[in-house]
Amino acid sequence: MSLTKATAPISDKRVPGRRYDPVLVALWIALVAIAAIWIAPFVFILFTSLKSNAEVMVSSAFALPTSVHWPNFEGAWRNGDFASTLLNSTIISFVKVPLGLLISAMAAYALARIQLRRRKALLLFILFGAMIPFQVMLAPLFTLVNQLGLIDTYVGIILPYLAFGAPYQVFILHGFFSAVPKELSEAALIDGASHFTIFRRIFLPISLPVLAALLILDFVNTWNEFAMALVILQDSSMWTLPLGLMSFQGQFSSDYGQMNAAIVMTVLPAIIIYLIFQRYFVSGLTAGAVKA
Amino acid sequence: MLNSRILAAPRVQALILLSPVLAVYVVFAIWPMIDVIILSFQKWNGLSDVREFVGFANYEHIFFRDAVYWVAFKNTVIWTVLSVIFPPAIGLLLALGLNEQLFGRGALRAVYYLPVIIAPIAVATMWRWMYDPFFGLFNQLLTDSGLQNLIRDWLGDRTIALYSVFVAHTWQSVGFSMVLFLAGLQSVDRSLIEAASIDGTNRWQSFRHVTLPALKPTLTIVLVLTTINSLKAFDIVYGMTQGGPAQSTQMLALWAFTQAMQIFDFGRGGAISVTLLIITLAIVVPYLRWTQREEDRP
Repeated sequence: MSLTKATAPISDKRVPGRRYDPVLVALWIALVAIAAIWIAPFVFILFTSLKSNAEVMVSSAFALPTSVHWPNFEGAWRNGDFASTLLNSTIISFVKVPLGLLISAMAAYALARIQLRRRKALLLFILFGAMIPFQVMLAPLFTLVNQLGLIDTYVGIILPYLAFGAPYQVFILHGFFSAVPKELSEAALIDGASHFTIFRRIFLPISLPVLAALLILDFVNTWNEFAMALVILQDSSMWTLPLGLMSFQGQFSSDYGQMNAAIVMTVLPAIIIYLIFQRYFVSGLTAGAVKA
Repeated sequence: MLNSRILAAPRVQALILLSPVLAVYVVFAIWPMIDVIILSFQKWNGLSDVREFVGFANYEHIFFRDAVYWVAFKNTVIWTVLSVIFPPAIGLLLALGLNEQLFGRGALRAVYYLPVIIAPIAVATMWRWMYDPFFGLFNQLLTDSGLQNLIRDWLGDRTIALYSVFVAHTWQSVGFSMVLFLAGLQSVDRSLIEAASIDGTNRWQSFRHVTLPALKPTLTIVLVLTTINSLKAFDIVYGMTQGGPAQSTQMLALWAFTQAMQIFDFGRGGAISVTLLIITLAIVVPYLRWTQREEDRP
């Protein structure tokens, strides 16, 4: 399975006493230098978020803050209405992500393990959805959700999120379920178990690593989504974190300290999730894309 | 209950398992796509009860009377070409480097991948601040190193704004290509490279003749995914410039949104969307057929 291949750690141990290859040393230095450039924006944002406005204007970009200016975070929390946006983002992500994964897994199981006519066509039809850009349909999506009376509701944003999240997950899980040996489910089928039982008792447990990878990946995507939320969540009390940050930028862009504190608070949850579950990101992303 | 006779039929069970995904997918993904095509032949402000049929009038307008459409079209093409070249090229170089057994390789990979997981809207906000003409990072660094004459209003100057936004996008998306290439490199046969080096080939030759051919499928996937992603560039442009200054960073996806949701001309917005949809399909459909062929190959 490609999944295990992609994540299998390749021994990082060096042979002691081996002479260093000069090419590799040069390569290492170059990679570290570029990594320093890559991380510089984060450092700059973090430092600015800890400085008072007066200090931002006089100190140089990468100067450490002389004293930590916490009021930036308090002010940004209050002015950006973070209590509300954080809650909305949390509710939407915590409902959408597990629910979406469950229905995707159900569909993927049916497409992979139950004999159906036109099942290949059905799979292609769903996969097609992973490729079409929802950005071109923002207006009709708004119209549809509006007709259903679901503008500014959690349901109104979660349903389109499910629709556009499912295709990729169905595709990945279909690949995974198809690779499971027949014997595993046939014995149970002969014993009279229904497909529901086999799905729940056999396929869900064995696919936990893939499900975990997709869960984390989808969590970050849902947490970060902006365009659909922009058209469906119009009322500021329903805004998610990205919408709140965008509005904050419009109002407080000259309050540099608070502006950057707001950025830090917006990206921090995703960064924490990433650092904890780093391993799963790579496998979730590459499971479908790269077939061994 | 689950044991009843109807539920025992595998096809019924399959239908039950499939129905939630199919229902939301058809209603909230497929229908809006059909509706956008219908809208493109209508005149509608988004509120009134009547959606008046106007034939090809919307297309005629965007093609012949809307100068912004062609600016957005040109920018989308420039953006796509740049996105297909730079982030994948840098990602490939990083992946090749990080595929070697180097000290701290895992940490380095994590650093390069970190921007990928950040909301594009947050990246936009970060880079807007870094591009700030007075206190932003870039102009400060230029001042500090005595290069005052290079100082620019990075996002306010219409000749460079698009490229400034693109640099931010590159910073964010390099890690994505890198990870895909790193996974693809796992399928390169190490023993072949070792055999080649014993035979006296240099690094370039073994890259050219062993690694690169093995990376071909990954390369296709990366290029298709980056093309599709770049066609839908929305968040980062919206967050950094909203298409300005003077429409110099306008893009098709954003212009379709602006027409419908801000100017309330859903018909013209729909027509712009349909042109973008057709371009996307022209890339997606051959790709899907190619993957199907690969799968069917024995």
